[in-house]
Amino acid sequence: MSRITRRDFLKLAGATGTAAALGTFGLSARAAQGKGPRVVVIGGGFGGATCAKYLRGGDAGIAVTLVEPNLKFITCPFSNYVIGGFRTMQSITHGYDALRKKHGVNVVHDTVTAIDPAAKKVKLKSGKTLDYDRLVVSPGIDFKWDVIKGYDEKAAQVMPHAWKAGPQTVLLRKKLEAMKNGGTFILVAPPNPFRCPPGPYERASMVAHYLKQHKPKSKVLILDAKDSFSKQGLFMEGWKKLYGDMIEWVPGAKGGIVKAVNTKTMTVEGELDKYKGDVVNVIPPQSAGQIALKAGLADDKGWCPVDPKTFESKMHPGIHVIGDSSIAGTLPKSGFAANSEAKIAAAAIVAMLKGETVADASYVNTCYSLIAPNYGISVAGVYRITEKGIADVPGAGGVSPKEASEGFREDEAKYAVGWYASITADVWG
Amino acid sequence: MKWRKSTITLLLAAVGAAATACSTTPPPAPAAPAPAAKPAPAPVAAPPAAAKVEEPAKPISAAAAANMANNCFACHGPRGVSPGSIPSLHNLTAGNIASLLKAFKSGERPSTVMGRHAKGYTDAEIEALANHIASVSKK
Repeated sequence: MSRITRRDFLKLAGATGTAAALGTFGLSARAAQGKGPRVVVIGGGFGGATCAKYLRGGDAGIAVTLVEPNLKFITCPFSNYVIGGFRTMQSITHGYDALRKKHGVNVVHDTVTAIDPAAKKVKLKSGKTLDYDRLVVSPGIDFKWDVIKGYDEKAAQVMPHAWKAGPQTVLLRKKLEAMKNGGTFILVAPPNPFRCPPGPYERASMVAHYLKQHKPKSKVLILDAKDSFSKQGLFMEGWKKLYGDMIEWVPGAKGGIVKAVNTKTMTVEGELDKYKGDVVNVIPPQSAGQIALKAGLADDKGWCPVDPKTFESKMHPGIHVIGDSSIAGTLPKSGFAANSEAKIAAAAIVAMLKGETVADASYVNTCYSLIAPNYGISVAGVYRITEKGIADVPGAGGVSPKEASEGFREDEAKYAVGWYASITADVWG
Repeated sequence: MKWRKSTITLLLAAVGAAATACSTTPPPAPAAPAPAAKPAPAPVAAPPAAAKVEEPAKPISAAAAANMANNCFACHGPRGVSPGSIPSLHNLTAGNIASLLKAFKSGERPSTVMGRHAKGYTDAEIEALANHIASVSKK
């Protein structure tokens, strides 16, 4: 359906380009203005943008500065549908005008280079420094390069990860469009924990959806570091029904663990076999975002331990880590969970700044995945704090029923699209 | 799973009526009981009437209700105003919302995902979060 045009490329270049100059004006305006407490939020994605907005909604006396390098944010949710060919990049791109104008957030387009937890200061690439009373860190994930031998940032230009939406999404789509009929699309799925647990399998579905229409002799091969995955039964049921044998999944125990890649020969080396792909999509192992690692907010495994009620860091008090970077019990690393965590953290920060008691937390997640544009499935959960941390409320949540009617799958596909419209309005609207 | 508008209205009316009948107000505490004939061997920390207050588990604060309710807006839109295919909440009363959630929870009303969510809350929590949604969506 929709192809990636030159125009999309240009828009994208503009959207992701950093523009420190634009941000600095607003910065001095608000910082000089308020006597109220100052909260700095790092990262303008599902976690950070939600938190900034709900902080202002919770107490308009708080001066909130949001630091985000990109002028516009491109969401990972729904980027698989750009790869599948039925969604444009523009439709998954969101700006910060509403946060500025409707909610009074001081949005600064800059990059945080250092955090000083003792002095409560954040240093920016532009040379400026921001003081804070409380800091929210929501940088998403970063990749562990070279854990898969040969897979580094340069290799990602040949074998895209497309696990941060933007130019990588467009690159993978272009490679898929250029692939020959009868070719093999290899998807390397990461070990736990990683951003968006059902994402790789939705991606395989979207690739198959495109191939079925345009290159039906082709194959999708998933080489997985794991032996099971999110919504596995539902995905496999859908794959068989819609795509026959087109998608093959190789679990870790059967040789799915990838040791090395070679971008010259387009080969992927598993523990048992070597595979040659026409398009190779490597989703590498992940950690908390770089700034969280650099600031000493992560543990030795690369993720950030937090208090389950406030998301305040267990490493540095006064700093809250939300979203994919945090260790949030059984909550997944999803945009929805980041939005839920952000609201709880915002409410906790408002209470803490006033010296009030922090209310009981309650978290929710719903992840829709499309196996085809009219075939949706979901997993949902309600979460509370137990002595083990954030945990699923027993008896609630779970996945869509197996062998459900076509109408049920269609309804969930429709609700997936509705969810995206709602949550992006909740985050950036 | 398609719900005609008339069916929804009917259901809302039916469950709404049922919900308004039950009260969340705890029964009034009884008057202090007459002192026992024999003096107690040790002084009691709290008067006996205090024990009764424990009955409806733990009261749900407005802030805790807000924490639960804010999660709903991720799918139902900011303040319950949905821009897409998921039903809005801003046009419903607290009674409507609570009744619907209870019907989803029991399975009396079929759903794709709402049953899975509603089972995560006690009836008292459902009422508290419904009140919060209704209060913010009217602003």
